Amino acid sequence: MSVEIDTRPIWVILILKALRPAFYLAVALVFWGLIAMPTPEGLSPEGQKAIAIFAVCLILWVSNIVPLAITSLLAIVLVPVMGVLPTRETYAIFGNEAVFFILGAFILAGAIMHVGLSTRIALNIMGRFGRSPRQLLIIIFLLAAVLSFFMSEHAVAAMLFPIVLEISKGLGLKPGKSNYGKLLFFALAWGCVIGGVATFLGGARVPLAIGILKETTGATIGFLDYTIAVLPLVLVMMPVGYFFLTRSYPIDVTDVDKAHGVLVHRLKNLGKISYREYAVGLVMALTIISWMSLGRSLGLATIALSAVVVLFIFKLVKWKDIEEYVNWGIILMYGGAIILGTALDRSGAASWLVTEALGAWATTPWMVFAVFSFLAIFLTEAMSNAAVIAILLPVSIGLAEKLSMDPAIVTYAIAVPAGLAFMFPMSTPANAIAVSSNHIKVRDMVKGGFIMCITSWVVFNLVAAWWWPLIGMGYSR
Amino acid sequence: MKKVLIVLSTSGTSEEAIDYAVKRAKKDGAGLIALYLLETGLASEVFDKFSDIGFIGDKPSTQLSESIMKEYRQRGYEELGKVQIRAMEEGVEFEPLMEQGDFMLKVLSLIKTMDVSTAVLVKRRKRSFLKYFSRSMADEVKEKALCEVVLFEEG
Repeated sequence: MSVEIDTRPIWVILILKALRPAFYLAVALVFWGLIAMPTPEGLSPEGQKAIAIFAVCLILWVSNIVPLAITSLLAIVLVPVMGVLPTRETYAIFGNEAVFFILGAFILAGAIMHVGLSTRIALNIMGRFGRSPRQLLIIIFLLAAVLSFFMSEHAVAAMLFPIVLEISKGLGLKPGKSNYGKLLFFALAWGCVIGGVATFLGGARVPLAIGILKETTGATIGFLDYTIAVLPLVLVMMPVGYFFLTRSYPIDVTDVDKAHGVLVHRLKNLGKISYREYAVGLVMALTIISWMSLGRSLGLATIALSAVVVLFIFKLVKWKDIEEYVNWGIILMYGGAIILGTALDRSGAASWLVTEALGAWATTPWMVFAVFSFLAIFLTEAMSNAAVIAILLPVSIGLAEKLSMDPAIVTYAIAVPAGLAFMFPMSTPANAIAVSSNHIKVRDMVKGGFIMCITSWVVFNLVAAWWWPLIGMGYSR
Repeated sequence: MKKVLIVLSTSGTSEEAIDYAVKRAKKDGAGLIALYLLETGLASEVFDKFSDIGFIGDKPSTQLSESIMKEYRQRGYEELGKVQIRAMEEGVEFEPLMEQGDFMLKVLSLIKTMDVSTAVLVKRRKRSFLKYFSRSMADEVKEKALCEVVLFEEG
């Protein structure tokens, strides 16, 4: 056994060891300072405590020093302990419909991945339509986006990564040197990011935002309504992304016959399509149709959980399989974020923050929309999109009420851009995967991602200004 | 017998460095050790990201991490193969190594345990303004190593 001796100076080791406790102490001091200071005029004592909890969660979410779910647990603990909301009410909020919708959607996505249906669909489409370098690139871009309409964009990225990796190896693309290698992995990551905002299923951020919206205002957004509102953004950003990528990295391969061979080989290994794949596909299709047609009357969570029950009744999946495909810890993150948002709203802290901090500049609805969407799109580059929603949405809903804006509109203003993380590997797992291929350097992603961020923010605001009035949506109530 | 060490890694390789190391080993009558370092940082970062904010469970996260590491290993074998061919062409004694872990600790300990006389390292290209804010690990190895260290930029 080898023993590695730390040869750094003792003072360096001691400082590094003290950093973490010092950070926690600083956070505790911030919390104590905010609680102990005289209550500002117009703010209730509960509101002051809610702001202190909010500040602590904000610091922990941004620094990521503890897992996101644990920060949410801290919020769940602190809200009743500090007397911001009664204990019973706090835990009742955790049982929000949004949390169960997310749970159901995760389990459905897990079932699709487990039976291999998503991989089969991807391989079939790539094999059939990806016959030239340009076609293959477009297919990977489209496939990543369209699959992210139906399941978590992170799951799509994880599923497609090994396939794209094999394609790049089959074509002999040199990491860091081949433009086509960069294009394939950018198409994978950005396809997932762009497609992930199209429906409720691309990520849990939209259900989370709607959960906070419902708890604080009673309003909600339908499955189909959301997609109709956001789809033009996706339809514009896909060609924009493709155009930008192919201009930045001109295609440098002449044929993809070897990639086609890889796809055919993988598809052969999958064998014939099974009864389970058909059945899970059918359950998923019926679930999506029900979400679109019966979502408002039955509730999205009820439909999602019914579909999960059907999967188990027909023995299409086993609990053990699902357990391995679902990240249970993340459910805590969403439940806690909804509790925190509700605490800020019900204690009056959100409206106080709006009046004191934002009252001067936020005078027109379009400005509120533009500023919050801008904040969301840039904050999401550096932190989890769920944290962005938990931080911005309660405050923006308070502001919307003050300006007689439709709170659903500000929910869009934050929930949609919070998913558009193009710039850093840390922004979203899809980007981290693409960079881990070594075909893309972080600096490539930052450079291109910045342009995509600005472009998508502009396009989103244009969609809100021109498309939404056509479908009966407007900034004001 | 003198030993020349060439260090390649997942984050950087250089044809120029390989060429120099082989020629230097031949000139000094030394054996050539080629170390390919699997830097696990990116793979584990992806895994952590999935565990923390991703929506998929342990199984796909682990599979993904494994597929990244498998790819890195294959690239390592390919790079070591290239060095071996060059060494054979020049008639230089060759020893391949593939290891996983912290760049600086691994390289320094190898220099010490294998009594390396010359180490050839590849450092990442950085924009000039970034050079003021952070030093490359290759630079730090050069400062701390007890042997001659020759640096090349990746490419």
